[in-house]
Amino acid sequence: MTDPQPASMYESAKKIYPREMGGRFADLSKLATVTLLGLFYIVPWLTWDDRQAILFDLPARKFYLIGLTLWPQDFPFLALFLIIAALSLFFFTALAGRLWCGFACPQTVWTEAFIWMEQLTEGTRSQRMKLDKAPWSWNKIRRKGSKQFLWVTFSLWTGFTFVGFFTPIRELGVEFVTFSVGGWTWFWAVFYGFATYGNAGYMREQVCIYMCPYARFQSAMFDKDTLIISYDEKRGDPRGRRKRSVDPKEAGLGDCIDCTLCVQVCPTDIDIRDGLQYECIACAACIDACDSVMDKMNYPRGLVRYTTEHAMQNEQTHVLRPRMMVYGALLMVLIGSLITTMAIRTPIILDVIRDRNSLYRELPGDMIENIYTIKLINQSNNAREFKLSVEGVEGIHLDGIGNTILVDGGSVLSVPVRARVHRDNAFGVMKIDFIAEALDESGHKRVEDSRFLGPTP
Amino acid sequence: MVGEEYRGTKQWSRNKQAVFTVLWISFLCAAVGTMVFFALFDPADIGGAFDEDLTLDRDAGYAAGFFFFWIFSLACSAITAFLVRTAPRRDAAHRDSPD
Repeated sequence: MTDPQPASMYESAKKIYPREMGGRFADLSKLATVTLLGLFYIVPWLTWDDRQAILFDLPARKFYLIGLTLWPQDFPFLALFLIIAALSLFFFTALAGRLWCGFACPQTVWTEAFIWMEQLTEGTRSQRMKLDKAPWSWNKIRRKGSKQFLWVTFSLWTGFTFVGFFTPIRELGVEFVTFSVGGWTWFWAVFYGFATYGNAGYMREQVCIYMCPYARFQSAMFDKDTLIISYDEKRGDPRGRRKRSVDPKEAGLGDCIDCTLCVQVCPTDIDIRDGLQYECIACAACIDACDSVMDKMNYPRGLVRYTTEHAMQNEQTHVLRPRMMVYGALLMVLIGSLITTMAIRTPIILDVIRDRNSLYRELPGDMIENIYTIKLINQSNNAREFKLSVEGVEGIHLDGIGNTILVDGGSVLSVPVRARVHRDNAFGVMKIDFIAEALDESGHKRVEDSRFLGPTP
Repeated sequence: MVGEEYRGTKQWSRNKQAVFTVLWISFLCAAVGTMVFFALFDPADIGGAFDEDLTLDRDAGYAAGFFFFWIFSLACSAITAFLVRTAPRRDAAHRDSPD
């Protein structure tokens, strides 16, 4: 049992030993951990079309997302996606509180995995506490040593996987095995691995309490209809120990037997019975703990439960409320626009750079010539043929370029072109349009404007 | 609920809070800054801006960019935290007196 510590002003050496307990929410949290970590560790190994399915290829400046290839020019999609992610977080926070913190945050998920390894090597909560107090012995070295071995190996594997999202992981694996990894790759793998080790092994709940910005401002998204984990004070108090045979009503007691299990299982070491606290990451471990006790006592479950402030005050809970509708509508609009813009995205990029060194050239035959560099990017995965043309001035045409240009899949073609106009039509600065048109059924076309300089009359 | 007292058993000193918060938040800002910056600029192109002969390979360019942003935001966060924490406080007697 934890005895209340005298409130100390500063860091005390006492560490939190969360007690492990099964239950509905523990199962849910395990499922979330296995799914999310599974995705993280497995996804980089999946292939699609003979390449890594998900690869943020920074050296080549291309992002591969299954069948889709994104280029730096597609950055607005990423920005839109991140805005949608943030807004979803707001939406779900308003709806169901800190679901993110309790089940999906990497900090929670990796901590869960590290605690599991801790239990595997050091045993249950009371065994861990005893082991920490005990003097160094062969047993302690063995248990602590194997925990560190598991933690460090797992962290290094995590760092390696992380880098594998940015450089092809299969080649990376070979490089690691043959010790031919480049300096930066090593650095990032160790950096990320060390961050995992420190955050999930040692910092744990302190990251949420002291360092997480979301934990501080999430309460701004709460209202009286938000799902929270709460102790039912009316039902539970006055608390007190009693035998199973005792009728609490006759003894003048509430349903809480003051076993403090809810405090022992808490990863942030708070007492949920003190009310909603910002340290609570809504992992629901206390619900499981309390339910198991209620079952043993033959009391109904739910002394600690998911509820809303309105429900606690015996009022109606409104799921559909203005806040939800505003968040929901915004989300729909943003998701809709992301999908639409992705769908109508033309996988061609055309860049026109006018030669800065010369204004124009006069050619025999009364022609005026300007020089441009055309950069044509074929974002699709197959080689395509394009027709390049120019318009905007009467009689303007391109010279020194074939009727069609072939650009390989996923590559950039840089080609100098000369545009010519008869002297009679070329005066001063004129706006022209370059057009790149794909020569297939897709009808994909890109227009990019530029200027044509002629003699000033 | 900002600034509420934490009743858990493991408390951080104010200095430790400041150091870790500054490190972490500047790290996050640097990550976002690096992402936006390198979405717009190719590190292979900008080496020449510093020195004509300098050609950065992209890996080194990203790393240099990230650390540049981190140091930059670290300095910004640290100075802000320092100024906020060392600002002269008006004591109670002062506060009671009419300004």
